[in-house]
Amino acid sequence: MALLQISEPGQSTRAHHHRLAAGIDLGTTNSLIATVRSGEAATLPDPEGRHTLPSVVHYKSDGEVVVGHEAKSRQAVEPGNVISSIKRLLGRGLADMDKIKEFSANTLVESDSGMPGVVLNNGIQKNPVEVSSDILRALASRAEEALGGELGGVVITVPAYFDEAQRQATKDSAQLAGLKVLRLLNEPTAAAVAYGLDSGSEGIHAIYDLGGGTFDISILRLEKGVFEVLATGGDSALGGDDFDRAIGQYLVEQAKVDSDDRRAHQLAMIKAREVKEALTDTDSVEVNFFDWQGEMSRAQIEEIIAPIVDKTLLSCRRTLKDAGVKVDEVDKVVMVGGSTRVPLVREKVEQYFKVPPLTDIDPDKVVAIGAAIQANVLIGNKSDDDMLLLDVIPLSLGVETMGGLCEKIIPRNTPIPIAKAQEFTTFKDGQTAMAIHVVQGERELVEDCRSLARFELRGIPPMVAGAARIRVTYQLDADGLLQVMAEETTSGVKTDITVKPSYGLNDEQITDMLKSSFSHAEGDMEARMLREQKVEAARVIEAVSAALNENGKELLNDEEYAAIQSALEQLNETAQGDSAKAIEDALEYVEKSTNEFANRRMDASIAKALVGHEVDEIDEI
Amino acid sequence: MANAQQNYFELFGLEPNFFIDKKDLSSKLKRLLQSAHPDRHTQGGSQQQMLAMQKTTRLNDAFAVLKDPVKRAQYLLQLVKNIDTTQDHTVNDAEFLMQQLELREELDTITKQKNASELMSFADKIEAMAEQQEAELGRLFEHEPWDLDALKISIYKLQFLHKTLRDIELAEDTLLD
Repeated sequence: MALLQISEPGQSTRAHHHRLAAGIDLGTTNSLIATVRSGEAATLPDPEGRHTLPSVVHYKSDGEVVVGHEAKSRQAVEPGNVISSIKRLLGRGLADMDKIKEFSANTLVESDSGMPGVVLNNGIQKNPVEVSSDILRALASRAEEALGGELGGVVITVPAYFDEAQRQATKDSAQLAGLKVLRLLNEPTAAAVAYGLDSGSEGIHAIYDLGGGTFDISILRLEKGVFEVLATGGDSALGGDDFDRAIGQYLVEQAKVDSDDRRAHQLAMIKAREVKEALTDTDSVEVNFFDWQGEMSRAQIEEIIAPIVDKTLLSCRRTLKDAGVKVDEVDKVVMVGGSTRVPLVREKVEQYFKVPPLTDIDPDKVVAIGAAIQANVLIGNKSDDDMLLLDVIPLSLGVETMGGLCEKIIPRNTPIPIAKAQEFTTFKDGQTAMAIHVVQGERELVEDCRSLARFELRGIPPMVAGAARIRVTYQLDADGLLQVMAEETTSGVKTDITVKPSYGLNDEQITDMLKSSFSHAEGDMEARMLREQKVEAARVIEAVSAALNENGKELLNDEEYAAIQSALEQLNETAQGDSAKAIEDALEYVEKSTNEFANRRMDASIAKALVGHEVDEIDEI
Repeated sequence: MANAQQNYFELFGLEPNFFIDKKDLSSKLKRLLQSAHPDRHTQGGSQQQMLAMQKTTRLNDAFAVLKDPVKRAQYLLQLVKNIDTTQDHTVNDAEFLMQQLELREELDTITKQKNASELMSFADKIEAMAEQQEAELGRLFEHEPWDLDALKISIYKLQFLHKTLRDIELAEDTLLD
């Protein structure tokens, strides 16, 4: 807790030391970490000078975890003990797995959290959150070694089209890796930041992001440092891998291999990728595949992949419509993702938007770089910057109603954070509980949407049927994560909510996983907690005192002022003692006592933002 | 000023009024968010971040209502006259009801024929009607004392036209598939 620390625009409060922050692009095939050093954002290489870290994890029988290039090289030797493309499983249920072919080497089982568990040949079982957290940990330690200190916070990018469950799973992974997430940032928005701040450009930008497994399109308006996402769309199951699959299919047909031969299909995919990459620079290439030998031209593969590229343009069209922007109003098109190297993609995108797409920043690195810039702002290294990102929810949020229908409560492309309240009533006398099923998607039937969570409300005061008024509030925060609150309005009783995420961990499970990794050091833990509480108490006392000095007299009456002062004194006294719990309680009491003060201070500062600028404008005239 | 006691107009430093400069409203929103947005408070504690989220939510809510003529009109009537026009949909304007039916039928026919160019020109027609209706609504709000019945009908008509435009978009989507 802390009171608002208001700094006047253009004037930093105090010269605090530079804090370490990083941007992480957690990709399906490769991941990167970037940071801002001496004003310059760049990705960080490993000691061998390699920037990308393959998102591949090798779990050895002795418990050792190997991430990256070495794990990737083990894939050919013992595929059953290596996990790749885990991002495709993140926030997904076992039922979604049919489409996911990358896991053919591993067995998937259902775990009690509804998440798929990946079972390795050596018997080890890992869930997607654990695997992702191992990748994040590897990236973070690379950064900490390079920067010589602990990371104060990270910004992690996610595909704009990720639903709430996928976002939550990403955040859980970071938490499990011991990282503080400053913000989950949409990949296209990150790319816009990397380009926008570089060139200082304004106007409407389209970000076309074609990765290995996902396609995102975002339309943004850039104005005076504000990046406003107007609409976002895409396809979470469409990517460059589909090019390989289509070309591979052609190879399989030419070589007349058995269509059930899975190994042949895998080889065809690898060969297809080689052909695709070779044809980026040349016009034709010699191909040997099983008994078939032939020449493939660029024109030939372009014919094969054209329908896939056209599908992405259809998404662009819809998203432009959602944004209320016409194609010729788009000023710039930014290309992101390795698959935008394919010449046909660039050609078709240029044809559609009628502007040459920007490709000057390495499409593999641009997302991590944008995330690093945002992380640097959020950690407080650039407090006088005007940069602000305003994002939207990518998919409509709804609840299940009678007959398995989905009632939309927050439509897609609504700016976040946002909240919607809904009123329910009981349909039986004395009913004290009810269930709410929250889903995400655009379709009318619940079964066609993604199930996010089931909320169970308990403790509704017993009344006759239809008398209770239960107000349920759905709050989406700036990360696009959902929180549900419920209250019976006639009695004012807050009802308890139990959340059961459809595919993910609940808070308890995460705490348990974290605890089990700390359990051997319990004594240390207690000492550490006391230390941390004391530091927090000192910070709060300083912040609240400063706030009281600044405008306490103005915003509080004598009684309110005295109440806060006495809470502070109590905290000060408790903080001299040795009980972490007592300090925690005293901190909580201060928080409660200062809530209204903090609220008024924030209102005052927001009011100033409006008035202050109006004065500026008059000055300009 | 994303103050819970302030109404949506006050949040933006405006008098309650149907006439709104959308550009001005949008630039004011950005100024307010520069101060209120959670990203501006990442270095504060959880209390501060929670407050920032709530205030930004309220600003986003207010903006969504004020920029939309139907929602703005409904909000204004609720605020000034304490009349709820979001629930009550009985309109006794036979001529408009007829027109409504005809328009729905026209859309149905075009959708069934899968005729894209017809759909576009139908969309243009409805858009022009909506513009006219919005202007009429404005005239009604200008004329004091407000003719409440006329206002209610006018809001309802505009709402119908907006809904038709959304249905046209859905029809367009199915044409694309």
